[in-house]
Amino acid sequence: MRTVLKTAVRSVFRQKRRSLLLAGAIAFGMLMITLMNGFTEGMLTNVRDNLSHALGGHVFVSGQEITETGRVVSRIDFDDRLQTLLETNSAEIASITRRSQTFGTVVFGSRQSAQMLYGVDFQAEERLRTSVAVTAGSLDAVMEDDQAIALPDSLAQRLGVELGETVLIRLDTVTGQRNVGEFWVRAFVEDQAELGMSAAFGHRAYVNTLLNLPSDSYQSLNLFLHDLFAADKMADQFRDVLPLRPVGEDGDDQAAAFGFGPFGQQQAPEPWDGIRFTIATINDIMEPIEAVVLVLDRLSLGVFAVLLVIIVVGITNTFRMIVLERTKEIGTMRALGMQRPTVRRIFLAEAAFLGLFGGVVGLGLALGAMTVVSRLTVAEPGLQFFLAQGRFTFQLVPQVVLLHFAILTFVCLASAYWPARSAADLPPIKALGGHL
Amino acid sequence: MRNTICLRAAVVLGMLLVLGGGLQSAAGAEDFAHIETILREVDTRSTFGDGDFAALLTVITEDPEKGVEQTVVRQFRRDREDQFAMLIQEPRVQRGQGYLMDGENLWFYDPSSRQFSHTSLKETFQDSDARNSDFTAWSYAEDYEITEYTEGQLGVNSVYIVLLAALHDEVTYPYLKLWVTQENALILKVEEYSLTQRLMRTALFPSYARVGDSVIPRQMVFVDELAEGQRTQIAFSEMSVQPIPDYVFTRAYLEQVNR
Repeated sequence: MRTVLKTAVRSVFRQKRRSLLLAGAIAFGMLMITLMNGFTEGMLTNVRDNLSHALGGHVFVSGQEITETGRVVSRIDFDDRLQTLLETNSAEIASITRRSQTFGTVVFGSRQSAQMLYGVDFQAEERLRTSVAVTAGSLDAVMEDDQAIALPDSLAQRLGVELGETVLIRLDTVTGQRNVGEFWVRAFVEDQAELGMSAAFGHRAYVNTLLNLPSDSYQSLNLFLHDLFAADKMADQFRDVLPLRPVGEDGDDQAAAFGFGPFGQQQAPEPWDGIRFTIATINDIMEPIEAVVLVLDRLSLGVFAVLLVIIVVGITNTFRMIVLERTKEIGTMRALGMQRPTVRRIFLAEAAFLGLFGGVVGLGLALGAMTVVSRLTVAEPGLQFFLAQGRFTFQLVPQVVLLHFAILTFVCLASAYWPARSAADLPPIKALGGHL
Repeated sequence: MRNTICLRAAVVLGMLLVLGGGLQSAAGAEDFAHIETILREVDTRSTFGDGDFAALLTVITEDPEKGVEQTVVRQFRRDREDQFAMLIQEPRVQRGQGYLMDGENLWFYDPSSRQFSHTSLKETFQDSDARNSDFTAWSYAEDYEITEYTEGQLGVNSVYIVLLAALHDEVTYPYLKLWVTQENALILKVEEYSLTQRLMRTALFPSYARVGDSVIPRQMVFVDELAEGQRTQIAFSEMSVQPIPDYVFTRAYLEQVNR
C-alpha cells in the first residue's frame, strides 16, 4: 500500500502544471459551494437575530378583545393560565417583555414625524437596558420620570430635538379616539431604521394612560428563549392552553401577534367573549426568508453540479492521456510482477490525492475569503437586515463540508476509474511495446 | 322643647335646600334641553336628508415645513345612504385619486396602482389638517352630551359656548367646545380636545351658504393646535343639490372617471 501511495504522489508531482490545473478546478468547485453555503447559513442566522432583536423576542403572544361596538382591541390582563405557562417554562425562557405599542406622530414645534412608540416596563426589561445602544442621555434618566422618553437618533435629528426638551405625541386610543401625550426627552438611542424598525421607548403605565388602557395591562408578551429552536414547541404549548383568537381571512391575527396589526381598527371576523390570544414565533416570519435561502442553496448546488461535470470530463480525459503517456511504464511495472489491482489502485490514489488536495485548497481559499469579507463594514442600509453589526458573517456546518469533500473525492475516483481499469487491463507485452 | 324647635327648623331648612337644589337642576336640565334643541337643529341642517349634494372644494394647506399646497376636489354626497365620493382634480400628479364611502366602508383609490385601500373617516385628508369625516354629515346631538354652557361673544355675534363630552368611544374627539350663534344656531367655532383634555384642533366656520333646505359652511378653517403654523382652509363652490346618478357612488366610477 505504501508503494502505491508513494507512486501515486510521485505521479501527481511529475506533471505539476497539469495536476495544478486539475486541482484548481476541484478547488474552485469547493470554494464556490463552501462560500455559498457559509453565506446563506450566516445570512439566515443574522436575519433571525436581527428580527428577534427588532421584534423583541422569539415567541410572541398578543391578546385581543372585542368592545361593545364590535371593535377589536389589543389587550392582555393578568391571566392565571398564561402565568402558569410562563412559570412552567421558566427554565427555557431567557427573558420576558410585556409591552404596549402604538404608531403615533411625534410633534416638536412645526415639525412632526410618524413613529412607533413602545410602552415598556424599564425595571423588568433588563434585556432592553443592555441591548439598546444609548447615544446621548441615559436610560436611567428615562426610568426616573413617568413621562420620560428615549427617542431614536434619526427622529431627533429630523425634528431638531435636544435632550431635556418636551415633545408631543399624537396617537389614537385603543378604540380609535384622538389623544396626545407630553413626553420629556431623556435619551437618544441608536436607530434600527436600517432594519425597517425604528422605535421610541416610554413608560408603559403612561403609554397605557394615553391608549386608555389600565396601567397594568399590556398588549404583547414576547419571550426570548435560551434555545431559539425550542420556539415552535413552546408556542404549541401556549396554543394548547390559551383560548385562541379565531383565524381571520386577511391574516390580521398573524400581524397582530407581531405588533403590526392596526389595533383598534379591525372588525372581528366572528365575535368572542373575553380576551383571546394569538401566538406566533420568529420561525413564522422566517418562513419566506428561509424559502429564499433554500433557492440560493439550490442555485449554488446547481453551480456545484456543473463544476462537478466539468471536473469529471477533465479528470477522465486527463487520466486517459496519463494512461497513454505511461503505457511503457505500466508494461514495465506489470513485467516486474505488479498485479492488476495494484496498477488500478495507483491511478485511483492519484485521483484521490488530486481531489483531496483540491478540496483542501478550495476550503482554505473559502475560509480566507470569508475572513476578508467578514472584516469589511457595509454601510448600505438595504443590506443591514442580512448583516451582523454591519458585517457579513459566514457559518459553516461541519457535516455539510465533510459531505462536499466526500462528493468531490468520489467524483474524482469515479472519473479516474475507467482509465485506471483500462491501464490495469493492459497486457504487459503490449504495454512494453507502447501499444494499447 | 328648644331642641324640638331646632330639629324642626333644621328639617324645614333641609327640605328647602333639597327643593331648591331640585329646582336648580330642573332649570339646568331645561337649559340643556334648549341647547340640545339647537344642536339637533344644527345636525339636521348640516345634512341633506333625502337629497344629494355636490360641490367643488378648494383645500389650501399651510405647513411651515412643506409650504403651501392646494388641492381641488369634486365632492358628491348622499347622506340618506351614508355615501360620498370625492375625486381629486388638482394637483395634476394626484388627479384620479379618490375616496368612496358606502355605509361603514371607506376606500381610497389610487390610479397609479389601480388599487382600492381601506381607510377611515378619522384619517387626515391628503396630509391636510382636515379629516375625511369633515366632509360627511355629523351629529353632535347623538354622539355627545352637554356638560356645560355659557353665553358669550365671538366677534360681533352673541353665542352659546357649549362644552360637550362624547357618549361613546366611536367619535374621534372625546371633548368638544362649540361656539353657536344665539340668533340662527350656526356653529362658528369648534375646539376639539383629546382624551387628556388637551386642545388638538380648532375649526372655524366664518361663512355659511343655504343649499336647498340645508345650511352648510361655505368656508372652513382648521388649525392644528399641536404643530405650530399648520392650518388648512377649505372653500366650497359650485354647490348643487341636483340628483346625482347612482353610478357615481361606485368603485367602477372612480376607476373610470379620470382615466
